Amino acid sequence: MGEPFLIRPEDGSYPAGLRDLEAPPPLFVIGETSASPAVALVGTRRCTSYGLGLALAFGRALANAGWITVSGLARGIDAAAHRGCLDAGGEAVAVLGSGVDIVYPAENRDLYQRILQGHGMVISEYPPGTRPDRWRFPARNRLIAAISSAVVVVEAGEKGGALITARLGAEVGRPVLAVPGDIDRPASIGCNRLIRDGAIPVLGPEDLIAELELMLGAPPRGSAGGNGIIPASGVLIDDLPGIWRCTPAEALARVARMEIAGQARRDGDLVLPEPVTRVRGKT
Amino acid sequence: MPMTQRWPRLKRRRRLAGGAVVEDCWWLIGGGREHGNPGVSLSRVRREMAPFQPLSPLRTFITMYAAAISVALVGGDARPVRVEAHVGRQHEAFKLSGLPDTAVREAKDRVRAAVASAGIRFPNRTVTVNLAPADLPKSGTDYDLPIALGILAASREMPDPRSAVVVGELALDGGVMAGSNALGAGVLSARGRVPCLVASAAAGEAASIPGARVYGVGSLAEAVDLLRSGLDRCDPVQPGSWAPTASDADLSDIRGQAVARRALEVAAAGGHHLLLHGTPGSGKTMLARRIVGILPRLEVPEAVEVAMLWAAAGRRRGLDLTPPFRSPHHTASKAALVGGGTGNPVPGEVSLAHRGILFLDELAEFPRGHLDTLRQPLEEGVASVARRGMSVDFPASFQLVAATNPCPCGYLGDGRKPCACRPAISGRYRSRISGPLLDRFDLIVRVGRVESGEYSGPPGEPSAAVSVRVAQARAIQVGRGRLNRHLVLGSETRETPGAGDLVARAVGNSLLTARGGDRVRRVARTIADLAKSIEVEEWHMAEAIGLRGEWRDG
Repeated sequence: MGEPFLIRPEDGSYPAGLRDLEAPPPLFVIGETSASPAVALVGTRRCTSYGLGLALAFGRALANAGWITVSGLARGIDAAAHRGCLDAGGEAVAVLGSGVDIVYPAENRDLYQRILQGHGMVISEYPPGTRPDRWRFPARNRLIAAISSAVVVVEAGEKGGALITARLGAEVGRPVLAVPGDIDRPASIGCNRLIRDGAIPVLGPEDLIAELELMLGAPPRGSAGGNGIIPASGVLIDDLPGIWRCTPAEALARVARMEIAGQARRDGDLVLPEPVTRVRGKT
Repeated sequence: MPMTQRWPRLKRRRRLAGGAVVEDCWWLIGGGREHGNPGVSLSRVRREMAPFQPLSPLRTFITMYAAAISVALVGGDARPVRVEAHVGRQHEAFKLSGLPDTAVREAKDRVRAAVASAGIRFPNRTVTVNLAPADLPKSGTDYDLPIALGILAASREMPDPRSAVVVGELALDGGVMAGSNALGAGVLSARGRVPCLVASAAAGEAASIPGARVYGVGSLAEAVDLLRSGLDRCDPVQPGSWAPTASDADLSDIRGQAVARRALEVAAAGGHHLLLHGTPGSGKTMLARRIVGILPRLEVPEAVEVAMLWAAAGRRRGLDLTPPFRSPHHTASKAALVGGGTGNPVPGEVSLAHRGILFLDELAEFPRGHLDTLRQPLEEGVASVARRGMSVDFPASFQLVAATNPCPCGYLGDGRKPCACRPAISGRYRSRISGPLLDRFDLIVRVGRVESGEYSGPPGEPSAAVSVRVAQARAIQVGRGRLNRHLVLGSETRETPGAGDLVARAVGNSLLTARGGDRVRRVARTIADLAKSIEVEEWHMAEAIGLRGEWRDG
């Protein structure tokens, strides 16, 4: 795993969205992402299978459409959102309430590692080694809200962190979207209330993408970071014929030429752009 | 009783000759006549014994000799073995010489029982059987029938089988069963333009050798009858027909995996050695097993050669034109891989895969020493098995296809599931496949994971369609005189300057080793052949480099 490093608000690589906060904090970061726009996908830890399935599907849909998914690496909806995003080969940002080197809860260690294998970054305003104290979590929600271009609440009860994130997002001018649920289901009360209060209802993965593109415009497809041909998160070589609309033979030849020219390299299943804009160290 | 009547006559002869040994052979003339033995006339004895002039004509009654030709498989080729039988005048005994193994030695008991079951008298004298050349180890049960016929001919129960090639295992009831050498008998029959006698169960197989004249027999009595009535008066067996076996493993079963499919096609077209690596469940084994379906079928002489090697290993392959596919397990011994065994060396998996595919699944699990023994067959197309006093070369020109995980847990480089191995462990795992062996693979292809969407995707191109292109590319290579795997670089590859420049650059920035570069140039020629291009263009070379994907030392 890479070493944590510090980014100050005055640094060029500081996430622009966080400057909307009243007092942008310096950030501790591991990993890196492209400059694509990000969407927060949050929800309750005590979720239902309904919420879990939707979070996975939304994570995938966002990744496929080229958005970065931001969440909090918590149990439940957060974890499912990260997982869906990573499964689809997207980029994920996890905002922690502890030091960036502390994984809490421990059950999400696999997600943490997957994110740091070149699929995104982990950030925190607390120095490395900081323990996950309860009171720190609501505070990190303002980072989730601010770093994203939109906040999507998948499932939320009457109160909880996700609603705080939605409120903080609205305060810094981010559109808030919520997934409706049964009105008599406790785990959906929060979301339904958000919709009543003006949040945009999300009616499915395609609907979410359509809504986001309507409000924010489509993210630059297929060239998220990288070198303009291969996205920074890498691409499966078996997918290249489909992306480039060519035969497998032509795709292989093209990759080989890029390898020889030092524009790409192959790592396991993936073709990665070169030089990689990795900030520090090998993950 | 005719026998007792003839007895005094013989005694008289003994007195005439003045020898002390004649009385032992009374039954040689008279005995067996009730079984149709025409007996031996003195004039014939004199004629046959002309070369042995110093002996008195009467001695020939005692020196009773006959021989049949049988087959030994040496290094995958059929060699004639002369099964000599001699019936002496000493007390009853049965001696067998000529380096028989246990199975051959036990023929004594089978022959004795089978002869009795056939209703023929077994000589109650000293029977000596020699399998010449006597210094060649003999093995297997196929010598039963020639031994029996030799003895019966020596004891004048039937005419000498002379030049007929005879193989077959005897059952105690006198039946003849198919052994593994029937094909060898057919080969000798065709080569020497002599008839051959094999078990009827294997007769079609032996007769399928072009030019062989084969007679099938179901029992010892049938064989004796056949020889008594004369082979020329009987009709030989109709040849069996060679055909490829249909396989239910088709390339259309494979969804997605565009790159790996392409690699399989190129490997099949040029006979290139192929290494597939990737995460567990990505379909490496499934892909490898489907390469046979796109290879061109064997020509009949090739199929005979393969079947002979199989026979030497004690296996019957039948009239199969499908190239062989062998997948030894990684626990196989060195002898099982490259050949060996005690006594007569037996071909190993590399020879069973001759003219076909040797598939090593979980390549890194094979002991390194075993893998290094593959280098000689890979280089020379021959597996030499050296024994004290003899060295046998088995043909072993196979196409190597191997599959391996990238690390012990299998998920290194998956990008989705983290690898659970410590870097040192996965490095060591990779180093088990030595660099020199790795350099011998022409194509090194990462088989990517299958996305869930691809499971339900449309079926891939069927094997039949791919094999048409492969066959066309092979036809071009036939004109060049060798498979692209064995191509001489330079004059035969015909690269454009752009193609040469590309591979030079790839070697220059150490994307390829020098030897890897040579492999790539041969693969590029195959790709050009598939495209029916006379020259190797830059894009053919680029694809060939792309088909030698990364495999670093951890």
